[in-house]
Amino acid sequence: MKVMEVRKTERTTQYWARLRRGLVEGMVALGAMLFLLPILFLFLTALKPDAEIIKFQSLVPHHATLSNFRQVLGDPEEIPIFRWFANSVFISTMATLLVLTVDSLAAYALARLDLPGKRWTFALIVGTLMVPGQILLVPVYLILNRLGWLDTPLALIVPAGAGAFGVFLLHQFFLGIPKDLEEAATLDGCGRFGVFWRIVLPLSKTALATLGIFTFVGVWNDFLGPLVFLDSVDQYTLPMGIALFQTSYFVEYGLTLAASVLCTLPVLMAFLLFQRAIVKSIALTGLTD
Amino acid sequence: MGVATESAAEPGGTRSLAPARGRALSGYLYLLPYLILFGVFLVLPLLYGLGLSLFRWDMLSTVPARFIGTGNYSEALGSAYFWKALGATFRFVVMAVPLTILLGLLIAVGIEAVPVRRQALYRAAYFLPTLITVTVAGLLWRWFFNSEFGLFNALLAPLGIKVPWLTDTAWAMRSVVIMTLWWTVGGPVVIFLAGLQQIPSHYHEAAALDGANGWQRFRHITLPLLRPVMVFVVIMNVIGAFQVFGQTFMITQGGPELSTRVLVQYIYETAFNNYRMGYAAAMSWLLFALIAGFSLAQVRLLRER
Amino acid sequence: MRSAARHPGRERGEMSVSRRAFLTGLALPALLAPGCRRSGSRQTTLRFWNGFTGPDGITMLRIVRRFNAQNPDVNVLVQRTDWATYYNKLFVAGLFGRAPEVFVLHASNILRFARARFLHPVDDLISGPDGLDSHDFDANVWQEVEVDGRHYGVPLDVHILGMYFNRQLFRQAGIQSPPAERAGFLEALRRLTRHPAGGPDQWGFVFTNLSSNVYTVMRQYGGAFFTEDFGRCVMNDARNVAALQFCVDLIRRERVAPPPESFDAWVGFLQGKVATAFEGIYMLADLQKQTELDFGGAPVPQIGPEPAVWANSHTLCLRAGMSGAELQAAWRFVRYLSNNSLDWAAGGQIPVRKSLRQTARFHAMPIQSAFARQIPYVSYLPRVTFTFEFQDELNTAIEKALRGSASPQQALDTATANVNAVIARESKSV
Repeated sequence: MKVMEVRKTERTTQYWARLRRGLVEGMVALGAMLFLLPILFLFLTALKPDAEIIKFQSLVPHHATLSNFRQVLGDPEEIPIFRWFANSVFISTMATLLVLTVDSLAAYALARLDLPGKRWTFALIVGTLMVPGQILLVPVYLILNRLGWLDTPLALIVPAGAGAFGVFLLHQFFLGIPKDLEEAATLDGCGRFGVFWRIVLPLSKTALATLGIFTFVGVWNDFLGPLVFLDSVDQYTLPMGIALFQTSYFVEYGLTLAASVLCTLPVLMAFLLFQRAIVKSIALTGLTD
Repeated sequence: MGVATESAAEPGGTRSLAPARGRALSGYLYLLPYLILFGVFLVLPLLYGLGLSLFRWDMLSTVPARFIGTGNYSEALGSAYFWKALGATFRFVVMAVPLTILLGLLIAVGIEAVPVRRQALYRAAYFLPTLITVTVAGLLWRWFFNSEFGLFNALLAPLGIKVPWLTDTAWAMRSVVIMTLWWTVGGPVVIFLAGLQQIPSHYHEAAALDGANGWQRFRHITLPLLRPVMVFVVIMNVIGAFQVFGQTFMITQGGPELSTRVLVQYIYETAFNNYRMGYAAAMSWLLFALIAGFSLAQVRLLRER
Repeated sequence: MRSAARHPGRERGEMSVSRRAFLTGLALPALLAPGCRRSGSRQTTLRFWNGFTGPDGITMLRIVRRFNAQNPDVNVLVQRTDWATYYNKLFVAGLFGRAPEVFVLHASNILRFARARFLHPVDDLISGPDGLDSHDFDANVWQEVEVDGRHYGVPLDVHILGMYFNRQLFRQAGIQSPPAERAGFLEALRRLTRHPAGGPDQWGFVFTNLSSNVYTVMRQYGGAFFTEDFGRCVMNDARNVAALQFCVDLIRRERVAPPPESFDAWVGFLQGKVATAFEGIYMLADLQKQTELDFGGAPVPQIGPEPAVWANSHTLCLRAGMSGAELQAAWRFVRYLSNNSLDWAAGGQIPVRKSLRQTARFHAMPIQSAFARQIPYVSYLPRVTFTFEFQDELNTAIEKALRGSASPQQALDTATANVNAVIARESKSV
């Protein structure tokens, strides 16, 4: 008797547990759909002609057309969209490589090497995390002008290497690597650089990947930097190029949306492709201090 | 022997003096590339900005820059526009940061409860908005929020509700925050999810065996273990929120009636529309002081507990 | 902002994570990496900066392409940014010796740039052997580019405000022709405003660009903004207050216009929900995309005692300090643009060359022709060096009054006080 009651209670509990889990997943799924709705809207509206866009009647286009896309892709001299895309990719990639190289060396020095005054240096570097970038805009413009880098990709790549975020992140992570691994390597005759190159870096793949991703996306979406430091239309990055479809008084909705879709699509696909690897790299073991 | 043991105990360090200086110097070589960039593109401009803030340099007049000491700072602190802009930024920070963190945590907890094979799917869905650039995101949401023909009011019309999303001075910033939640919650979701997945499951199992229910487990196991991640996310979020500019500029352009003109926009306009460089630099430094103060206070507060 | 690069993703107040496309992307951009600009052997390269984005930008680009084709010894490189950023960069570039050879300025900004000595006076070039007939320009427009006795640019167009109206709604309301004066205007708006039960609202009028719309009415009432010597701001002049009150009444008393949406009010006209709107000729390109809209253009009705309408012009300016072959090439380019301003007009602008406006080609542009009838009495913004701050104050006052947050008198009083503070500040620097 009692056994059957217990089993019944077990089944009831399991039933309720499953119901609860289902409800939770249902809410998560609903939220996900809501989050995706604007993006769906973006894609569908890009297929509408301008006359239909401003009517805002329905989600699905009545007279679906590819004319917006044809116009955006049509004349590369007037709308160098591939150029903008290439610029964005080039600048983001180079900036990321620069940051990874320079920051990992610096973080290693600050975390592991015995340098006089390194605590003050580190404090200074981390302190600059709080500096609002606007203060720097005009002086950096002057410096870039002096160097002759304005209106070139260098203006966006090189200053990106000055950020403290990467140094901070990698420093914390390097501190978390067990010292005996490095000691063993030293005993085996590894020089300092050898330890860095052969022990520390390989162990830090996740942190490096994380930093790389943050940097890449940050530079990709950066708007104010390209706005101020670039002049030529064919040097523009994507966000700036898309902004050319607006005037002070109105927006060319169809073209803007089509260009946006073209720019978001590759990013979306790459993310979906790589996301497993990407998120694995967000093992923030280095931040649990 | 003793020396060998000591060096082994402190890799990278050394006890003997003469090689120490050589090692220190060559150690600085690691630091050098970063320090050069840091010095040229951060420290130098920073000091320039500080210096500039003590001068009156309005690129308009053909009169050269004039030293006025703390004149710019006192002008800012006495300016109604400065305080109004600061107020707008503050309202954004106070609304956006807690909501983003809470929502991110909530969603992450929700996703973690979902069967593992579907978690990546939901995570991708919540993260996707983050990949949209600010120009496009701003445009979309400006449409959604339009009182006359926007999507939201169209959906609420059958209920007889018409919300002045962007036309009311009280509502405008709330609307910007709502958009910001959609646009930026993906980051914290991903980070929190990683943090949650790192918690060894046997902690939860042990607690469950001890009779703890879900909520108790959350409070006494999950939250404490998430603390370091939370600290990091909160601080970075606050620092960023103080510098908000893109969304407000794209969606409301600072209106209506300057209610959403955040400090960064005001600084930008002062520098680049009105060419008052010294004054803009001083306001930037005031913002820096504010952010620094806040961050330090937070670190202290969150670490103590 | 660099801050976003140093603190990735922070600009939005958040960190973000994304794809590792950089690995795949590495190869591609290396091939497409920006190379150095190839300069022709004996070619003079001119940089031409302007703020023409959107369809205007494409129109200008095509005109420049034709010039380059017809003038192989000159290579004009066009760079365009949106107007707001454009002025910032132009001024900063000028300060540090990077100004382009030819650039566009709004007439309202000529004063500031001329006083900062950025501009090359054009009087000698105009009256020289390859010159232009300065009498062919509209006199009032030509006068706007004059500073301290010399002219600093060649006006390319004048973009005037005009009244766009929805022909279909007019027909439905039984209105034969667009109104030309106050009584007719109000009457028309009353007939055009309908709020059918359960259906969409239809409005007679909507305020799109607050400053140009209300500035027009203020000027029609004859209000002043500054004293003769620009020593004091008198924006709260009784006539300005009355003009602003009229605008407020359109919304609150007559109820023929909706309260101002901070943005996108123009879309209401595009949707066919609004019968009239005052907007610039530059909106034509946007209107022409709306294939289902039956619209027309007419001069702005005269609501006050005087005829007046807001306008501004795009002026072609030359950088100071040019000489020799470069100056000649730049002048040749400017002259070409002026002579071919009908091509520019086709994109939705109004040329300021009287001779060109008398051609059949221009007459075949109905909206441009209708708007151009207002040229004799256009009213530019007051010429002050602190023009952005002045406009900010004026716009804020107008917005507050139209939204009902302040009475017209209060709003203009505040604005006047603020502008006077700016004047005091500016005079201290001299």
